[in-house]
Amino acid sequence: MSAAILAQSLVKRYGDFTAVAGLDLEIGNGEFFGLLGPNGAGKSTSIHMLSSLVQPTAGRAEVCGIDTQADPVAVRQRIGLVFQDSALDRQLSVWENLRFTGLLHDLPLEQTRERAEHLIRLFGLEEKRDKPVGSLSGGQRRALDIARGVLHRPQVLFLDEPTIGLDLPSRRRIWRFIAQLRAETGMTVLLTTHYLEEAADCDRVAFIRGGRIVLQGEPDALVRDLGSDIVEVSADQPEAVRAELESVLGPARVEFETLAFRPPRHDAAALAGLTESLGDRVRGVVVRRPNLNDVFLWVNQ
Amino acid sequence: MADHVPVTAVTATAAPARPSLWRPVYAVVERDLVKLWRQKGRLLSALVRPLIWLFVIGAGFEATVGGGEGSYRSFLVPGVMGMAILFGALLGALSTVYEKESGVMRMLVIAPFAHRWIVFAKMQAAAVSAVFQALLLLLVLALLGDLPATPGWPLLALGIVSTAYACAGIGMLVAAFSRTLDNFAAIMNFVIFPVFFLSGSLYPVGNLPGLLGVAAQLNPYTYGVDLLKHALPQSAGHAADFTVAMDVLVLAGFTLLAFAVSAWRFSREQAYAPLFGLATAKGGKPGSGKPGGPPPDK
Repeated sequence: MSAAILAQSLVKRYGDFTAVAGLDLEIGNGEFFGLLGPNGAGKSTSIHMLSSLVQPTAGRAEVCGIDTQADPVAVRQRIGLVFQDSALDRQLSVWENLRFTGLLHDLPLEQTRERAEHLIRLFGLEEKRDKPVGSLSGGQRRALDIARGVLHRPQVLFLDEPTIGLDLPSRRRIWRFIAQLRAETGMTVLLTTHYLEEAADCDRVAFIRGGRIVLQGEPDALVRDLGSDIVEVSADQPEAVRAELESVLGPARVEFETLAFRPPRHDAAALAGLTESLGDRVRGVVVRRPNLNDVFLWVNQ
Repeated sequence: MADHVPVTAVTATAAPARPSLWRPVYAVVERDLVKLWRQKGRLLSALVRPLIWLFVIGAGFEATVGGGEGSYRSFLVPGVMGMAILFGALLGALSTVYEKESGVMRMLVIAPFAHRWIVFAKMQAAAVSAVFQALLLLLVLALLGDLPATPGWPLLALGIVSTAYACAGIGMLVAAFSRTLDNFAAIMNFVIFPVFFLSGSLYPVGNLPGLLGVAAQLNPYTYGVDLLKHALPQSAGHAADFTVAMDVLVLAGFTLLAFAVSAWRFSREQAYAPLFGLATAKGGKPGSGKPGGPPPDK
């Protein structure tokens, strides 16, 4: 059985800037896959190539076993893409946008209406149904953008930064919608995000940096491999206490006024003693479970 | 759970049939007409603009040049019909550029059809809304008594439709090569005005001296106005400059050419630069990217 998404040494160069520097991916049917990395890592360009909209400079890609360059229309028939920036028509209402999308995908009007009503209910947009998109909140617009992306029941859904620019409650709601859609349809989902910790629910994640994948695996396993809790010490002059702390906790990662450590084992008593001996020189000590963000940061150490 | 929903698997392995094109094309035409209808200001100015020319320029010239009562005004009627079509189709086609900028075009580029059909659909939409505006003007002109007693209706229909397509073609060519609408004033100055003035709208083409006359003969819009002159024969007897066959041939030929060129242009990803962040900075002008710091991944 062929993979839902396959990328082999995908490269995209713009002039002498390399956006994607040889991307290899193999994502199975029904998988929930996260492509993670900072802004500018090449996530969007990768999605645009996988969805047939941008021609790779080198390498090839397949979606549902179809070559993206050989038959882009067949690829677009099977995928949904929620762009990072809205694709909605602000002058049209919620329903009119979905109706337009349905017609563009050659769906009979009755089918469009049925699915649109379902999605409008699922995403809590009932009251906005006949309001222009310009009157929607950021979270509602993103929800509608996702509804637009799945109206034609794609086998593969690409979500490019689905939660960017949203407040926390909206972000949670968007993740819940995505989970509901997956439960309902079983479709393959490839998402990108730079809020790395949000990708914990993915089946697998890959970290991308400088246009290539630097690490991939199951989120739990990646976090587990990190091995230990994270100790964060904040201080007015972190460099002054760094050496002393490193002798006990191992090498530090400095972030502004915070020193982060990954001590080989968690010794609460030793930590308490250390905090006491440092006294006023530190402002606070926090011990917490690691997340994907930590994985990414420590990997790039 | 309360939100129990029907489970519909999308694991169908059979290849779905190729989508047909009529629904997408219809969708684009319908959407553009709905928007036009909602923008009453645009609709109103589409009517008022030609009428101002008819009344103000018509009356002004008659007073200056003299001539029979109402004769210049009746000469202007096909020209202002053409003007309504020209502006209607051009603005309709130029909305493509706005759609690239605002991102609405994303819905079209991700839809399952080749990108040349976006051009086809937008050309239909521009032409249909131009015809709609021309019909409104025709109604007003009829009420004002500015139509000749015996217009050639089939010829008029042919003239309106073929002029609308040719003007939509001019608009798509501009849209295909414009990055933004920021330079709309430039488009106005270097496209719309020359196309309008260097035609037979305001004077017989033969009256244009030298190079201006040549330019008018190269202007496809000239042939649209000429066809309208055939359809709206004037009492004062200003003859059209070309034959009906010539007019139709030029308009149809130009429309096909414009479609081919803009479809080619729109099948290249550079045409969508504003939609894919990176390409905006780098696509058109190689080497113009800022040194240091990667471009934003948008």
